[in-house]
Amino acid sequence: MRTLARRLLPKLLAGLIMIWAVATFTFFLVHALPGNPGDAAYENFILQGMSPVQAQAKVSAVFGFTSHDPLLVQYRDYIWKLLQGNLGQSISYSGVPVSHVLRSAAPWTVFPALAGLIIAFAVGVSGGVVAAVKRASRWGKSLSMSGSIIAGVPVFVIALLLDFLFHTEWHLLPYGDTSDVTLDPGWNGPYIWSVIQHAVMPVATYALLGYGTWLLTMKSSVVSVLGDDFILAAELRGLPERTRLRYVSRNAILPLFTVFALSMGYLVGGSVLVEDVFDYPGLGNILLQAIGARDYPLMTGAFLIITVAILVANIAADLFYALIDPRVRR
Amino acid sequence: MRTWRVLTRKPGRVVGLAILVVFTLLAIFGPFLHSGQLAVDPDDVYAGPSARHLLGTDFAGSDVLQEIITGARYVLETAALSALFTAVIGTGVGLLAGYHRGPTDSALMRLTDFVLTIPGLPLLIVLSTIWSFGRPLEMALALGVTGWGGVARAVRSQTLSLRERGFLEAARGLGLSSRHVIVKELLPNLAPFVAMNMLLAVIAFIAAEVALFFLGVVPFSSSNWGVMLNQAVFSGGAMDSTSALSYLLSPLVCILLITVGIVLFLDAVDELFNPRLRERS
Amino acid sequence: MTDIAARADAPTAAAEVAVRDLTVCFPTDKGELAAVSHANLTLAAGRITGLVGESGSGKSTLALSLLGAVPTPGRVTGGEVSIAGVGDVTKLTKAKLRRLRGGHIGYVFQASQNSLNPLKTVGKQLLDLGRAHDVENLPDLVKRARELCELMGMDGARVLDSYQHQLSGGMRQRVGIVFALVLNAKVLVLDEPTTALDMLSQAAVLRIIARVHREIGLTTLIVTHDMGVVSELADRLAVMYGGRIVEDGPAEEVLGSPSHPYTKALINATARVTGEIGRARALPGRPPDLMSIPAEGCVFRERCAFAMEVCASVEPELARWRDERRRACHAEVETVTTEGVAAS
Repeated sequence: MRTLARRLLPKLLAGLIMIWAVATFTFFLVHALPGNPGDAAYENFILQGMSPVQAQAKVSAVFGFTSHDPLLVQYRDYIWKLLQGNLGQSISYSGVPVSHVLRSAAPWTVFPALAGLIIAFAVGVSGGVVAAVKRASRWGKSLSMSGSIIAGVPVFVIALLLDFLFHTEWHLLPYGDTSDVTLDPGWNGPYIWSVIQHAVMPVATYALLGYGTWLLTMKSSVVSVLGDDFILAAELRGLPERTRLRYVSRNAILPLFTVFALSMGYLVGGSVLVEDVFDYPGLGNILLQAIGARDYPLMTGAFLIITVAILVANIAADLFYALIDPRVRR
Repeated sequence: MRTWRVLTRKPGRVVGLAILVVFTLLAIFGPFLHSGQLAVDPDDVYAGPSARHLLGTDFAGSDVLQEIITGARYVLETAALSALFTAVIGTGVGLLAGYHRGPTDSALMRLTDFVLTIPGLPLLIVLSTIWSFGRPLEMALALGVTGWGGVARAVRSQTLSLRERGFLEAARGLGLSSRHVIVKELLPNLAPFVAMNMLLAVIAFIAAEVALFFLGVVPFSSSNWGVMLNQAVFSGGAMDSTSALSYLLSPLVCILLITVGIVLFLDAVDELFNPRLRERS
Repeated sequence: MTDIAARADAPTAAAEVAVRDLTVCFPTDKGELAAVSHANLTLAAGRITGLVGESGSGKSTLALSLLGAVPTPGRVTGGEVSIAGVGDVTKLTKAKLRRLRGGHIGYVFQASQNSLNPLKTVGKQLLDLGRAHDVENLPDLVKRARELCELMGMDGARVLDSYQHQLSGGMRQRVGIVFALVLNAKVLVLDEPTTALDMLSQAAVLRIIARVHREIGLTTLIVTHDMGVVSELADRLAVMYGGRIVEDGPAEEVLGSPSHPYTKALINATARVTGEIGRARALPGRPPDLMSIPAEGCVFRERCAFAMEVCASVEPELARWRDERRRACHAEVETVTTEGVAAS
């Protein structure tokens, strides 16, 4: 247990530093924007009839810092507010705290992405084992080729093709939003069914996105484990094929978990495209909207949260790996 | 003529190479075929394929095929440049980290981790608010600066394993300088590895730049596959009807073709650089 | 050919394992080439037989063929491997073959450093082994494993609870031997048991092998390129070159007065701990690999100091020239044994 903590602590620390670095980066990003938005907003508020003090307070509430203080003071305010979970207020959703907007959008990115990742992992890994064991046969080769090709197709191409086929051509699935707007949200049948229908294409896109990589990575891992001494030794000791396959799979899957975190990041990054194509209101979509509307607090908040989500996934994957590999647990 | 034999062993590889050659020729000579502005024909928007317009027309009545051909140059040029930038930065970082090890390695790897963890596409679109990188060189720079993480890591681990091989010790033992060792000994050994990585990276870069134009966050100056997709989906209503079908599918199919071409060709490159006992089937 | 083999076979002790006219081929660009060619070898019951040769001589392939485990794409194209009480290994069904491995013949892997699953404890893998061989009384199996561990100087309970990475190289080698014997195998095959071990561990492992062989009453085959190992343990010695057995007989006699040019060269090339380093003579040339084995005549002729014209066209047969000694050579015995060191 102690060694586990010892391994995790530096990773956690690195993660926190990363978050701080990203926060700082976005802070300076906003300051680098042409025409300081803080100033522009301030002018606006004055025009609307607020007193300078009021306007100042409003800008501070919206952006997290006041535009007239020296840079370092602004920075300190910003970080302080961040630590309290205050990401400022959205401009496009006037007055609504950024954290609220993000909180309602987050599940619609996290759950489809996670679902897609799990499906891609399960199918890809099983496929990888088959592709490795049968790699001399025609089936094995075509399986590998399918993985290669799908892995190379860009995410929005997958999304567009799926949308085109299932929505435009065959009219099987609906388009846009998380569910039919005419329905009452809640734990009722029609709503849940609608949610599922609307989620199929995004989830399928995420799944297809990852499938190729998992298949190829697992295949190469299995091929390398197949060459390991202990597998041959097991065969020479009379262990049946079933047992040997189990030995191979468990050993081959281990290194894949280090890739797990990276792929989560890839998926979340891709959410921008997936949600744009399907008009699905998740974090990626919010980020795009915010950029279009020049809603800087929302934009930086979304960017920050997306990065944090990836970092958390990284650390979780590291933890998990340490738990299942006895060589590390020592 | 081993190259030839390796290439022709599997028909897929020749197909891959052929596709790449066709697109490269398009990229180089395309704009000369249709010089000047694209012809605009307001009476004929979003038309389907016909004898006059082999792939139909777009939102302004311009010929889709023409746009595909002229657009090829931008796409391939930026992708190639991005791959170059990434290769240079990534190899530099990875080599230095793997060769010097110690604190240099730690510092460089921290930096690499940072670059790797930050999600690429969101970063690029956030970046687009302060820097509009629409021109090929700028786009390539933006993509290169954000995308070198993977190469750096891979090059570093290759360098570390090459270190184990001992010929580095021998070179140092002979009194050869660090610079000589790096340039004359390490780089040639790394080159095939980096080259293969770069071919794969081209696919990712094409996807990234098309994605950026598709999202509409980068200004565009001329016809461009990503812009075509953007127009087809959001203005042409391709998602709701089949009218702008060829306008939508043309760039998509081109991207798919290039992807498949690179994957197939890479198979040949892989065997060329890694000769190993062939599996007897 | 078969007559000579039969005559050469008149053994003094009952043969536990009899390899007759075995040929193992591998497909290559030049067609099917033989890694082992018409090999005749008998493992006398209760004895330790050493099989010596350089890398590429085919000795590992021969050893693996005792378990019917020639690595694909190689296959047995002729001959048989008879094991007392089991029959011809080359003709066994897959199920019988699986039971043979571990159950009747134990194979100790070359450099047993990584012959265990790194993710499971030794004990769990022992249970896997038992279940694979339909052992009904598993606790009994564990007890037997513990006893074998004690016999080899290890703490049984601790070993069974450990993961592979928690054991030293020497211990892993010994665990490999435990796994080979725990199911009461009658025949033990050790492939390069001391390569990859340091000198002290080597000595320890050799002592243990001798002890275990005695106490349990095994028939043992040790495959190695190390003459030192063979001189210490083996009762009988067979020498392989280019896929052929070129000489065999009682170890002491073969080592003391080798009757084949290759055996002689091997012995001369072995440096001794005592004595002048200059006494060791390297054999010129390189051992052949699968592709460079001469197709006609004696496989050793190009490096042989005693080569004659007939050697280039006619392959010598393995024939008995004295009670239990055989050799495959055209040169007269006296020429080889009395001549000095092989000319370099």
